[in-house]
Amino acid sequence: MPLEIQVLQNMSSQNTGALTVKLIGSLDTATAPDLEREIAPVMARCGKDLMFDLAGLKFISSAGLRVFSIVRKQLKERGGQASFINMQPQITEVFEIIKALPGVGVFASEAEFDSYLAARQKMVEENH
Amino acid sequence: MKLELQGTPEEVMRAVEALEAYGEDKQIPAKILFGLTLALEECASNIVNHALKRDPNQTFGVTFVHNSSQIVIELRDHGVEFDPTTATSDGVADDDEPPGGWGIFLVRKYTDELIYTRENTENVLQLIKRLAQ
Repeated sequence: MPLEIQVLQNMSSQNTGALTVKLIGSLDTATAPDLEREIAPVMARCGKDLMFDLAGLKFISSAGLRVFSIVRKQLKERGGQASFINMQPQITEVFEIIKALPGVGVFASEAEFDSYLAARQKMVEENH
Repeated sequence: MKLELQGTPEEVMRAVEALEAYGEDKQIPAKILFGLTLALEECASNIVNHALKRDPNQTFGVTFVHNSSQIVIELRDHGVEFDPTTATSDGVADDDEPPGGWGIFLVRKYTDELIYTRENTENVLQLIKRLAQ
C-alpha cells in the first residue's frame, strides 16, 4: 500500500497559518524514506509546532515511528511539539505500546487540538 | 503459502500484503491480523536491511501456515547468523531509542512465541500467534 502525503495550511482555526501533514495509506519500511524526504522542507517552514492528521493512516511500523521521532526531537529543540489527530485504533495501540505518548500530543480531533492551543496561548499571555 | 522474495523494502511489503490477503481468506480477526502484519514487516525488514544489505539479487523466504489453533509465519534467510529473540529492548520511548529496538519490542507484543533456529547456513525464525478456539 503506498503512502500519500498532503501538506495543508490551516486557514480557519485557532491555529491559522500552521501546517498539517496528512498521511494516507501505509507508513512502513518502503514508504518511510518518502516521508523523511517530504518532511524536510516542511520542517524548514513550520515554526515550532506541526500537526499530523492520521485519519487515513492504516499501518505504521518502526520505520515510520523513527521519522516521527526525528520530527519530535527537532520540534522539541524549538520549544514546540509534534501533535497527532484522528488516529485509527490500531495506530493508537502501536503508539501506546512504544510509550511514545508522553513525548507528543495526541488529540481526538482538530477541534480538540485548537482548544489545546487556545489554552496554551492564554497561559503564555497570563505569564507576560 | 510460500513466498520467495528479493532483498528490498518493496518485497517486504509484498509479503505483508500477501499475509493480509491470506489472513482475510482464513478469517483471522482484523486486530490479530494487523499485529501479525506488523510483526512480519519488522522481521522481514530486519533481514533485508541487515542480513541481505538491501541486495535485490539475494532472496529470503516467507511461509504462512494456519490451523484452527494458531498461525505460524516462518522467515528464512542465508545471512550471517543472527538470533533476534535475544535482542533486548525495554520499549521506553526515547529520542535515542534505536528503531531496531522498537521493532523487536513490537514483534514480541503482537506474537505469542518467537522461535529461532540456525539450520546449516540458514536463519529460521518462526512467529507464532495462537488463536482463540
